[in-house]
Amino acid sequence: MSPHVACRIARLKLPIGTALVVVLAVTGAIRAEQAQPVPPRPAQPTVDEVEIRVLPVQRNVYMLLGAGGNTTVQIGNDGVLVVDTQVAGLAPKILAAIRKLSDKPIRIVINTHVHGDHTGGNEALAKSGPLPVRIMAHENVLKRMTAPNQPSVSEASLPLSEYFTPTRDFFFNGEAIVLHHVPAAHTDGDSLVFFRGSDVVSTGDLFTPESYPVIDLQNGGSVQGVIAGLNRILEITVPAKFQEGGTYVIPGHGRLCDEAEVVEYRDMVTIVRDRIQDLIKKGMTLEKVKAARPTRDYDTEYGTNTGFWTTDMFVEAVFRSLGGKK
Amino acid sequence: MLAKVSILLSLMCCSSPLFAQADFAGQWAPLYHEDTIERLPGPELGDYTGLPLNEAGRMRADSWDADRISVVQEYQCRPHVGHYALRGLGPMRIWNEYDPATQRVIAYRMYWAAYESQRTIYLDGRPHPPDHVAHTFQGFSTGVWEGNMLTITTTHFKPGYTRRNGVPSSAKAKLTEHWVRHGDYLTITSVLEDPAFLAEPLVRSQNWFFDPGQRAGLFPCEYLPEVPQPQGAVPHHLPDANPFLKEFADWYAIPFDATRGGPETLYPEYRQKLGTYKPLPRCERFCDCMSFADCLSPFPPRGQR
Amino acid sequence: MKTVTTAVIVVLSIAHFAFAQAPGGRGGQPPRSPREAAPVDLTGYWVSVVTEDWRWRMLTPAKADFAGVPLNAEGRTLGRAWDPAKDEADGAQCKAYGAPAIMRQPGRLHITWQDDHTLRIDTDYGTQTRLLYFGGKAPQGAEPTWQGYSVAQWEQPLRGVGLPEFIPIGLNPREGLRGRSLEVVTTGLRAGYLRKNGVPYSMGTVLREYFDLSRESNGDTWFVVTTIVEDPQYLVTPFVTSTNFKKQADATGWNPTPCVVK
Repeated sequence: MSPHVACRIARLKLPIGTALVVVLAVTGAIRAEQAQPVPPRPAQPTVDEVEIRVLPVQRNVYMLLGAGGNTTVQIGNDGVLVVDTQVAGLAPKILAAIRKLSDKPIRIVINTHVHGDHTGGNEALAKSGPLPVRIMAHENVLKRMTAPNQPSVSEASLPLSEYFTPTRDFFFNGEAIVLHHVPAAHTDGDSLVFFRGSDVVSTGDLFTPESYPVIDLQNGGSVQGVIAGLNRILEITVPAKFQEGGTYVIPGHGRLCDEAEVVEYRDMVTIVRDRIQDLIKKGMTLEKVKAARPTRDYDTEYGTNTGFWTTDMFVEAVFRSLGGKK
Repeated sequence: MLAKVSILLSLMCCSSPLFAQADFAGQWAPLYHEDTIERLPGPELGDYTGLPLNEAGRMRADSWDADRISVVQEYQCRPHVGHYALRGLGPMRIWNEYDPATQRVIAYRMYWAAYESQRTIYLDGRPHPPDHVAHTFQGFSTGVWEGNMLTITTTHFKPGYTRRNGVPSSAKAKLTEHWVRHGDYLTITSVLEDPAFLAEPLVRSQNWFFDPGQRAGLFPCEYLPEVPQPQGAVPHHLPDANPFLKEFADWYAIPFDATRGGPETLYPEYRQKLGTYKPLPRCERFCDCMSFADCLSPFPPRGQR
Repeated sequence: MKTVTTAVIVVLSIAHFAFAQAPGGRGGQPPRSPREAAPVDLTGYWVSVVTEDWRWRMLTPAKADFAGVPLNAEGRTLGRAWDPAKDEADGAQCKAYGAPAIMRQPGRLHITWQDDHTLRIDTDYGTQTRLLYFGGKAPQGAEPTWQGYSVAQWEQPLRGVGLPEFIPIGLNPREGLRGRSLEVVTTGLRAGYLRKNGVPYSMGTVLREYFDLSRESNGDTWFVVTTIVEDPQYLVTPFVTSTNFKKQADATGWNPTPCVVK
């Protein structure tokens, strides 16, 4: 189906709020040179206020937008596959949205990374049907979720079908699905999910077209890894004609995209990295780098001075990734 | 009886008030009598004249390197975003789309030869989609008639250029157009609002000539690596490090500050700031640039210098 | 059948008289003046916002810079011979301020109704005045001037005849027809320059212009004037430009300056 068709379900009223959960954890990591416990999560937005919007993407694949990250749903005769489950409180609404697309049971859940706005609904979705649900992710996601300093989670929400190789593939609903591990990027457990037949890539938070990338240093992220991951996406995507259409890209947060927008985003991260690298070479401290405002031509498109992931935090994450001395 | 009705109809028709033309369907050839050099051979590096750029727009443009669109594979066949396509390379074909149930025009369809771009302008009152749907180079357009003027609103652009020497446009851009046809001339006034890079709306107008014999064709483009480079290389200039920004000012003897654009430079009072400007004694570059053929080189053929 | 035919005749007749009125006047009433019939209001103060051809308008271009102008060989030869000092000596400082060029100069306009049949455009740049006369034609044998003689009308269509709008059988309502444009044709021009660097136009030039008004979502009002210069002596094809003016609330910035040769 054409992704240009307007969504069918009633509008989302709340912006992405529960990424706050994630980003408070990241904030803690950035402000401390040593790893420290993740700060407590703030109260989640009222689930009654959130409406899940469904956007047909291409062939079997749909995009669900809610209060957490985007969710990807693939439907077919084999059942339903879900990429990223948003936050736990939204699970009933996500399930209701999936039911409008297919009455088949959920069989596979894939987590692109460890953060709660992408894994929070794992348990509810895993228990939603009569058949067992395989939860898949890179093994670093499992390690992070079961780390001693993390709040305990139920076994039902753990991605016990983990992989540790560069890629993992399988066949489902008539097409090959390939997971690509992207090391040390947004986190150290990122996966790209490529639906080869539908020609759709789910990127998780490696690509968020409306905000600077969150670089979770505490969970093993780095700017170099983000750039490598974006280049990996570009290796996978093939535009249909004149850089439009073809492979569609479902980002972790934000609008549906295709290759052209990933290129813009990759360029932005690369250029900001180069600028901050240059300032580090000149011996600038973090405060001086921030004062130089190396992102000011990108701030209107991607930045903010308030909220959970500010421009300053992004600059600091890049600075630390590059070994800058505070 | 029929004869009487026919005669009456004829009399009435001959004496009825005539109305202006308002159909845009047909083949339209662009007229390059304005901003010829920018639109044909291309804008010079560092030429931001006439643009109400803000600081972000200027900084981004300064960082741009032309290698980006030739060496980086993903840019080689990238079309101009819709508001820049109007400045246009290439002929345009417009046709009506009719609702078979009512025979009303519900959309204009457009085809540009450049990058084989296609565009639809919906006239059926449908709303613009929510922001989370995929953006495109041509955006999503709806139009309403205001007398003999068609006013079109376009959103959902992909990021692109406001000028193809690196002056950017963002995905937040919104375009309003006013189309008016006067005989065989089509004037399109475009109002570009881009809060990311423009300090105020950019208002420009372009003209086309009705050319029924024109046939907009294909635009062969194949992207492939042509220059060995490291994977993911993004040619750009670090802040304040672009060595080419003063070329335009030097070649045309224009005060450098004036080449930087900005809203102040667009208004008549700016002429006072230009003060002691002295033009070159004689034109040296693109002096006779009028069409593709005579704009291929900045300099006239040897015998004509 | 007879009843149907009669009904059709009656309906068509009503339609004809409803739509065949003189501009603004219903049958039996005196026609409205061009001022009364104006479909848009062009009066007020307007400022030229130079977003196109910046370096040809804000600055005096270099000699022999003809980019964009479809000059023929004779026009180029004359253009290359531009001598501003001679123009100054001849008292021809306003050669680049004639009607074909004045709207392209960066400056402000003040548009008013001089009377019910004459629209007046004053420019601060060059302190020129254009008078746009509704109805009539240019007087024969008059001395050519920088601004020539302008005949204006609220634009009528070039061709096409339509049945009245409301006949429902086989016709949808017309769209895009209610004219809002001002059309002006100017002749009687003294030879001048299309640009300040001596790009020439001849005395035989015919200038056709269309003024179109628009209101933007941010509250700004603009008009665009499409200028078509036809000069069989120096131009290969008509020279077509379109220039945008933004409405101002008042005369702020009004700065009358005399003509200068450069």
